[in-house]
Amino acid sequence: MAATTETTGHRSAWRIAGKGIPVKDAREKVTGSLKYAVDLEVQGMVHGKILRSPHAHARIVSIDTTRAEALPGVLGVVTHHDTPQNVWENAWFNYRGKILDGIARFHGDDMAAVAAVSEDVAEAALGLIDVEYELLDAVFDPEEAMQPEAPQIREEGNLRDPYVVEWGDVAKGADEADFIVETEIRFASQQMAPLGRNACIAEWNGDRVTLWTSSQTPSELRDGIHEAFGIPLSRVRVIALPSGSSFGNWWSANFMLITALLARKVRKPVKIELSNEECMATVKRRHIEISRGRMGCRNDGTLTLAEFDHIIDNGGYGFKDDVGFFCVDNWGRAEHGHYAIHGVNTNLLTAGCMRAVGDVTLGSVVERVADMCAIRLGMDPVEFRLKNQIKPGERLRMQHSRQYMKGSLEQYLEGISEKQRQEWPKLFHLSSGSTDEILRKGAEAFEWSSKWKGWGVPYAVDGPRRRAVGVGTGAHVCGVEFEGNVSAVVRINPDGSAKVHCAVGRQGQGSETTQAQVAAEELGIPFDKVEIETGDTDSCPWSHGSLASNTMYRVGWATRAAANDAKRQLLEIAGREFFDSPRQELDVADGVIYSRDPNKRNIRITVEEALNHFRGTDALGQASSITGRPQGPMPPASTFARHFAAHFVDVEVDIETGEIRLLDFLATQDSGTIMNPQVMKNQMIGGAICGAGFAIYEALSFDDDGRILNANLLDYKLLRAADFPLRGDVIYGDSYDPVGPFGARSAGEAPAAAAGPAIAQAVYNAVGTWVDMPMTPENVVTALDALH
Amino acid sequence: MMIRMTVNGRAFDLDAKPHERLCDLLRRALGLHGVRVSCSEGECGSCTVIMDGEPVTSCLVLAMQAEGREIVTIEGLGNEDNLHPIQEAFIEEQGFQCAFCTPGFIMAAKAFLDENPDPTEEEAAMAMSGNICRCGAYPYIVKSVMNAAARLKEGGSVSNTG
Repeated sequence: MAATTETTGHRSAWRIAGKGIPVKDAREKVTGSLKYAVDLEVQGMVHGKILRSPHAHARIVSIDTTRAEALPGVLGVVTHHDTPQNVWENAWFNYRGKILDGIARFHGDDMAAVAAVSEDVAEAALGLIDVEYELLDAVFDPEEAMQPEAPQIREEGNLRDPYVVEWGDVAKGADEADFIVETEIRFASQQMAPLGRNACIAEWNGDRVTLWTSSQTPSELRDGIHEAFGIPLSRVRVIALPSGSSFGNWWSANFMLITALLARKVRKPVKIELSNEECMATVKRRHIEISRGRMGCRNDGTLTLAEFDHIIDNGGYGFKDDVGFFCVDNWGRAEHGHYAIHGVNTNLLTAGCMRAVGDVTLGSVVERVADMCAIRLGMDPVEFRLKNQIKPGERLRMQHSRQYMKGSLEQYLEGISEKQRQEWPKLFHLSSGSTDEILRKGAEAFEWSSKWKGWGVPYAVDGPRRRAVGVGTGAHVCGVEFEGNVSAVVRINPDGSAKVHCAVGRQGQGSETTQAQVAAEELGIPFDKVEIETGDTDSCPWSHGSLASNTMYRVGWATRAAANDAKRQLLEIAGREFFDSPRQELDVADGVIYSRDPNKRNIRITVEEALNHFRGTDALGQASSITGRPQGPMPPASTFARHFAAHFVDVEVDIETGEIRLLDFLATQDSGTIMNPQVMKNQMIGGAICGAGFAIYEALSFDDDGRILNANLLDYKLLRAADFPLRGDVIYGDSYDPVGPFGARSAGEAPAAAAGPAIAQAVYNAVGTWVDMPMTPENVVTALDALH
Repeated sequence: MMIRMTVNGRAFDLDAKPHERLCDLLRRALGLHGVRVSCSEGECGSCTVIMDGEPVTSCLVLAMQAEGREIVTIEGLGNEDNLHPIQEAFIEEQGFQCAFCTPGFIMAAKAFLDENPDPTEEEAAMAMSGNICRCGAYPYIVKSVMNAAARLKEGGSVSNTG
């Protein structure tokens, strides 16, 4: 499908798109009947447990499983000696390694696994595996790990090539500035803290394997099994079940591959169920990031320069060289820019993409430095953002596709047909939306101009308590083209119902509902006649899954295109058999096919009748169901689509105890058409709470040996109901995207990026100084002490 | 060891291991998967059930401590054909995303509204703070509790054991 000529004016005609329909699985969710992977069992299943390294960096010299194998009830043990030595990769370099290779790269790393008749026996057997380790020097600090003499954690070395985004001439940007401000920030690591844990069941039938697990990325997991075991994709079936809160934790994880390895060894279905501690200490976390940056500004408030040098620690198995930092685009009006990102491995738990990766961290730094410019000018932060943030049609700076599309960017562009060029939005220019409208609407609804009293000035002082407001913005991509393009299949059944097949998983963000809305609106059949499969790789075509804010924009595009193709076929049949009309004269509404020709108004054929017409007469059965798929390539979203959030917060800081309370919070967002406002508000507020956790509560704590000290929900503090303002209303921008389905773009990550900068700025306004994140009472008091 | 308890209005004799937790027994022996287990240390509240009218985190209760007690789980509150007003309220306000925590929140809300049928939003928020929703649906969870209070006051039909 080409870019659309629809506009916001078309919205009034929609019956399903844009409606706040309760999510499809609402009844299962409130009755507890929804099944997650931890709830699943299969006939004849046995249980697996993983042996974990007690060292941060070590090599197995010898491993003896004799005593473990002799324990009654043990069915088998796998070590690196049983493991195919193929490297598998998780999506976007979140993991790169072998399933087991006899080297521990972080405390808690997978070393071996046992299958037994019960979890208790498997656990007991782990203690009977005799391992002799050779300890290796470990490195935990990202900057130390970058040094050539540092212990090397991977064959490829610790340090990735820098990922650079640059435009203009930074020296010129510095010359043209009336002043330059700079800062350095070191962030702690946030943990996904995935409520609900996870499990995986693997079963081999002959040389075919089936996995059941909670995953956002069923296709990527299938690819991982294919790579690691060296077997054809056709022999791998992944059935992704709904997950608890994931935030990026449940893509593909090595424990899933270990489950498959164990199941192959013992020739029985094996289930590995992770404990809460394993979920928090052995899978993934947000990167530790260190950023140094400066911005140059004219006295009129125009940015001339943005220059940032940013380090991300990948832990043991991450392999990223960039973190998807779309704050660069949001502040891309700076005339000259240079951003360099350095990915480095450490002997800490693997780090990977957590919700709004990069834009939570580097975004906070860029917003901070921009605020420092505004402070210097005494300019209102809303005004400073309006002046310096990107507008639709302007040049984007991030050129992700350069890396992930096949060949070079030039080759990619050469491969685009002239027709596509004309149909698609202008590449590397923002297609629609920005912070502009939502900042204005939000400021008005929040009564910003009466609450903001100037930089570092609280609006109320009551004893030790200071109250002030802040504003922050965040942006993120709407999907990235790495590793392939997404697809979807829409099938119309003989009874007039339809089924969507798209591999986006189900992590609670409502995509099973919003994708079904897209299909139902396009097909013209009632919403309750559309069902959806999001997890079975045997029926769903390839998709990245729910990551990089892909789902509504890119998968939604594919779902609409597939529905459009199915509808085209349906109308061709109906035109030929019932209307004697070309399909272009026909349409479907509420499950009924009708003609726009006034002379044929009396012909009304239901979708069910149209399909059933052939059941008796069409010997080949070719039309008893219709299968639609996208008929052309999707425009490359990363080159023109972003989503934006602006958050307004009112805080109270107690300067004696250092405690921060959030008094009021207003979330606004520009995601184009809002496919389902009920789903959307939860994405916005949920994102804000994730970002607020990063800003004021959450940090993993490591000991001197790289072990995580707070891998539990007692010591790792999360916000609770009374910690976040109860106001639940949100504000949407009114933009209409030319490519996204029915004008929609993506949603889930920009809100996680906007909350932190808003809270940090409000705290600054309350106490007159910046506080390190997470802004715990201790960090608040430390920052206040430094003032004196 | 055999333990007799009443679960969702019916009596059961259940064979429990000596160290078995109540949450595991309810899931294993009775297939009550609405008893969700996440943190296993009483922090997240996902496994909340009502024991003799009091909300308890069933990961911190040994199965044998439930001997002779009356247990209500989410499955006893309502089912997909006959939702409890609190469940209807959670749907109307969309007080969830992934919903792993939802049964625990609904059971906590049930116990809270039994005690305080006419709460303020602040009281409801405080009462819901024993549970964790990592997706961050909190404002809508609190609205769900207020919505449920209104439904229950109107005498919404409650025909089941809850």
